Amino acid sequence: MPEPSAGHAVELNDVFFSYGSTRILSGVNLKVGYGEAIAIMGRSGVGKTTLLKIIAGILKPEKGYVRVLGCITNTGCFNSLRGRIAYIPQNLGLVEGESALYNVLLAKAPSKPLRFMAGLWGRDDLSEALEALRMVGLDGKAKSRVDRLSGGERQRVAIARAILQRAEILLADEPVSNLDLDTAEDIAKLMVGLKSKGLTIIAVMHDKWLTSKYFDKIYLLDGGILREAV
Amino acid sequence: MRLIMIMLVITLILSYPLGLIDIGVWAKVGVNIAKFLPELGVRWDLVGDALIASYETLIISLLGVSGGTLIAYILAPLASPLIVPPRVALVGRMTANAIRTVPAILWAILFVILVGPGPKAGALALIIYTSGYLAKFFYESLEAISREHYDSLRVIGLRGLPLAFALYSHAKRYIISNVLFMLEYNVRTATILGFVGAGGIGYYIMNYLGMLNYQATLTFVIFTLLLVVAIDLVSYIARLRV
Repeated sequence: MPEPSAGHAVELNDVFFSYGSTRILSGVNLKVGYGEAIAIMGRSGVGKTTLLKIIAGILKPEKGYVRVLGCITNTGCFNSLRGRIAYIPQNLGLVEGESALYNVLLAKAPSKPLRFMAGLWGRDDLSEALEALRMVGLDGKAKSRVDRLSGGERQRVAIARAILQRAEILLADEPVSNLDLDTAEDIAKLMVGLKSKGLTIIAVMHDKWLTSKYFDKIYLLDGGILREAV
Repeated sequence: MRLIMIMLVITLILSYPLGLIDIGVWAKVGVNIAKFLPELGVRWDLVGDALIASYETLIISLLGVSGGTLIAYILAPLASPLIVPPRVALVGRMTANAIRTVPAILWAILFVILVGPGPKAGALALIIYTSGYLAKFFYESLEAISREHYDSLRVIGLRGLPLAFALYSHAKRYIISNVLFMLEYNVRTATILGFVGAGGIGYYIMNYLGMLNYQATLTFVIFTLLLVVAIDLVSYIARLRV
């Protein structure tokens, strides 16, 4: 078992992964520093989402290891990290039919399970959630149902949840897909702006222009191998 | 259509030994209806009793749904491998299935023995039966939620019951729809439970029928019908609003 390293927020070492007999990742190596924003690009179906899920600890690599915030994934150490990683899937993981506020407050559910289950949030929790919504520009939309918000606003709700969660690592799967160019740029700017709060960002992206403008590094995934784009 | 015809022919052939396709029997039905109809009517003096009995039936059903929903809400996560280890889920699932396998009327007989006749036995029977039924609907609803939603909640750090509650909110429409279904079902079932002494309108129907008092029986049957239609209507409106 490799020794914990304090040098990188995320480190992948010779990671292999297959779905059945189909090899998806063939020895992926990656080092992401604290507070860095990196983008992973590549054709559809090459395994970008799989890679993100492996970093989130949702999938287990069949070979190699992944170290996040000093803990190897799928170990007790990694399990204790839960809450320090935010994962925004392609469908955003929002609860349809519920308000933006409810969705943001989900970030508090692990630390305050009884309040969450009873639906009785304290004044502090509510003001923190409202502040997170304000930070993403959704001040007046706290009570709006998320399914009635625009694509960009829904994306902002998901980011507000990560802010309230006080996550240290944000994993976002195609956060600007299906958005118009201006909205996509706003979201990319907002997300990468979270670096100032100490967040490390790993996002799966398709838009080359946005990626080169806002992200520190770009990686290309092709044929199961990840390499930095120059 | 061809399949239905084949099924009908097979059924007719199989039912011949029971005398079900004897034309004479069906002709007798017509004669008896002609004799029976003039005896029907409404006993207006029993309307007060019918109203009270309908109210009792409604309350038994509501208690059954609310109590059963509460138990199912807790039981379903214990039957889902998404929330608890697979072995625990198996036990939870078998418990829910065992509860559901026993018909509501048998639960009613059991509770009439345990707590005596009356609405208490009916309410307890429906609480238990509803919990088993809804637990199945609920754990299925948990498992139908997209993997991405589940993963994003797990990564936040949600586990156990809070995770189940968060997943429930994804399945809110499905859950409400099933709770409403159980309310409709319980109103119908609560009527029958009275036949074994578990309170409600069925108790009166059973007694008046035993006395061959068809007018009194019909009065209570009409109120049963009105109650069922009213609940179906409320349920329909509620579904539209969810």
